Amino acid sequence: MSAEAELRVVAAAARAGVDPGALARRVGGAARLLSSPASRLDALGVVPGLAGELAAARRADIGEYVAELAGKGVVCVARSDTAYPAPLLELADPPLAIFAAGAAAGPPPAIPGRALAIVGARRAGAPALALARRLAAFAAGSGVCVVSGLALGVDAAGHQGALEAGGETVAVLGCGPDVAYPRTNAGIHRRILETGLVLSEYPPGTPPAPWRFPARNRLIAALAGAVLVVEARARSGALITADHALDLGRDVLAVPGWAGSPAAAGTNGLLKAGAGMIESEEDLAAWLGLEPPSAAVPPAADAALVEAAAAGPAHVEELAERLGAPAAELAAALSRLELDGWIGRDETGRYLALRPSGRAGRG
Amino acid sequence: MARALTFWLMGITARRVEVEAHLVDGVPSFVVVGLADRAVQEARQRVRSGITSAEYRFPGTRLTVNLAPAQERKEGSGFDLAIALAVLAVSRQVPVERVARVAAAAELGLDGRLRPVRGALAMAEAARRAGVEALIVAAESAVEAGLGGGVEIIAARDLRHAVEILEGRAEPAPVPDPPAAEDAGGPDLGDVRGQPRARRALEIAAAGRHNLLMTGPPGSGKTMLARRLPSILPPLDPGERLEVTRIHSAAGLLAPGTLVRRRPFRAPHHSASAAALVGNARLRPGEVSLAHRGVLFMDELPEFARPALEGLRMPLEERRVHLARAHGAVTLPADCIVVAAMNPCPCGMAGDPDRECTCSTVRRSAYLARISGPLLDRFDLRVEAPRAAAHAEPGEPSEVVAGRVASARQILAAGGPRLEPGATALLDRAVGRLHLSGRGADRARRVAGTIAALAGADRAGEEHMAEALSFRGAAG
Repeated sequence: MSAEAELRVVAAAARAGVDPGALARRVGGAARLLSSPASRLDALGVVPGLAGELAAARRADIGEYVAELAGKGVVCVARSDTAYPAPLLELADPPLAIFAAGAAAGPPPAIPGRALAIVGARRAGAPALALARRLAAFAAGSGVCVVSGLALGVDAAGHQGALEAGGETVAVLGCGPDVAYPRTNAGIHRRILETGLVLSEYPPGTPPAPWRFPARNRLIAALAGAVLVVEARARSGALITADHALDLGRDVLAVPGWAGSPAAAGTNGLLKAGAGMIESEEDLAAWLGLEPPSAAVPPAADAALVEAAAAGPAHVEELAERLGAPAAELAAALSRLELDGWIGRDETGRYLALRPSGRAGRG
Repeated sequence: MARALTFWLMGITARRVEVEAHLVDGVPSFVVVGLADRAVQEARQRVRSGITSAEYRFPGTRLTVNLAPAQERKEGSGFDLAIALAVLAVSRQVPVERVARVAAAAELGLDGRLRPVRGALAMAEAARRAGVEALIVAAESAVEAGLGGGVEIIAARDLRHAVEILEGRAEPAPVPDPPAAEDAGGPDLGDVRGQPRARRALEIAAAGRHNLLMTGPPGSGKTMLARRLPSILPPLDPGERLEVTRIHSAAGLLAPGTLVRRRPFRAPHHSASAAALVGNARLRPGEVSLAHRGVLFMDELPEFARPALEGLRMPLEERRVHLARAHGAVTLPADCIVVAAMNPCPCGMAGDPDRECTCSTVRRSAYLARISGPLLDRFDLRVEAPRAAAHAEPGEPSEVVAGRVASARQILAAGGPRLEPGATALLDRAVGRLHLSGRGADRARRVAGTIAALAGADRAGEEHMAEALSFRGAAG
């Protein structure tokens, strides 16, 4: 009965374009909010539009709203529903309802058992992005779902890595689950809808707004068993996710950056405060209790090239200089290593190592 | 009535025009009919003054000049001499039958002097096809018209000189021999330090006639490299010299008495309009045709206007340009290698190890998005040209590279290397792993063939394909 009241409140709020969560908490639950007389709502300062919608929602056919959502490919699960994602109930302020879209939206939505959140800067450096992608691919390939926020930079790299590995990934959005934001990531959004799950506490069509992103970070933290911050400046949004994770008793992991680098001030701060340090698949496997990756080794002739690329993203000319070999002769070997997944290219065409060459000592 | 033959230039083709002059009694007047444009109407003033200055008599009765075929809209100033000769013939100052046996293509000065016209070579070729005995041109046009062959070229200084030659009372001005073709020429690749990858890309582009896109920060030498591409291309053969000369002459770019002897290198500024790049409604050749058999260099590619870039797509695909206007369409050749250069981002510093890029993600993607996918598809080769180290070694001189290019072209002309199964397997893997598109795979096949030809191989193997894949660029 309570689940139905929540749905009615959520539907009314969606029509009025208002977020009902805080209001319901103040009144003491969705059912109380729904049954409040107009005078009480007025005293609470409820916007007139919502008051009207609430009055209408008391009598409305809730099945109609559910069908309307289904038409958009969206499933809505109220907090009191047994299908509601259990991890979210650990939050101090779980959303009144959660909207799910995508192949795994259900009902009920297939909430992953084991999940790792991968978050970080929107403007992360190429090595950080490559590492995020690699670690996501490893986790997803080992059966761990990768949860992130579909933002630019590290978030997108995390989703991409998981998709490439053919594993599970969940995107938690700060807008309606059907809204592809940012536009740059529309392709990833579509691919996740095709194979995975997109969650949001906002009804379909809700546009992104600055205050919705920090709020969505608490859901990412709640859904994941551990939060990995790949690169973050001081006061980064990813640190909000890490804070929520600590509040919820989740593991917080971070990738170290160079001492004093502003780009890594946030992650280095987390490490100083005791976060788990992640440099490679092996580290991640140890934290998550996964099978460590098989110790693949690049072809002997090309190992030096992988090692040269591991010293930082570089154009062919610079790799040639690091190796002391003519640049013209490296092209074919670089393509082969790229095909085998040893190296990749960043958006400016520079080559970077995606996996350790195997010649370096294991930590 | 008297007749004389002349030509007008439609695109790069000379179209024959028969000038008919007719005299009747009546009030003195001079009318030109036959869909002639403003410049042709003004010919009346030049012809009248030219005839008087040459100390002939301008007829004092009703004079009508018709330009046939009358339904063709003609333009240009090259009809002057033919009109003047027809007028002199109809007024019995020069034998009608002498004038009827030649063609004339020159503009008249008010003092009767002959001025050169655009497209003299095309007109000489048309005169040969028309079966006339000779073509009378200004002395400055003689060398170019002489390339046409098969028709006598009479170089005259002025109207009186032209008439006296026709009457057999004067000798034509001597026609100098055409200058010999120059070898490659231009700046040499040996001047460039470093940039081994971009050099290699230039070599492959030259051998396989692939379009090349270079990405690199300002000052990394992209322009220097592009300017050296003509130096590694084979010299123009006689047929190509004619083609290129015809186009440059039609565009009015040929200095008097000269011919095109080197492969063209055209570098339009990025403010160039679509009309300037592909040609305009007045059927003047655009940059892409002026670069025929040579190199079209487009620096700062994303800065070109979108319509200009989109207008290039068809010409690059078909290697010719179709220009349409109200009264007919023309096709111009446009078989050039396009070398384009761009910065990796608006500030130019992305990917530079020593500088930090200050562009926002949005600004950067907006910059890259200015080049549409279909246009990008026309570039078989894409290479990064990072800033070269100060101590970089100078590379091979053009002569050495040109030698390899020439032998590779021979292999490619004979059908080119086939792909070995190993190469195909590698490509299939790239399609799967690197999300290579169908067009991307086609590009890799073509480039692999050229790389194999440069290596003197008759089959393109795995190594060749692997190198080809390295030139697919950051954009995939």
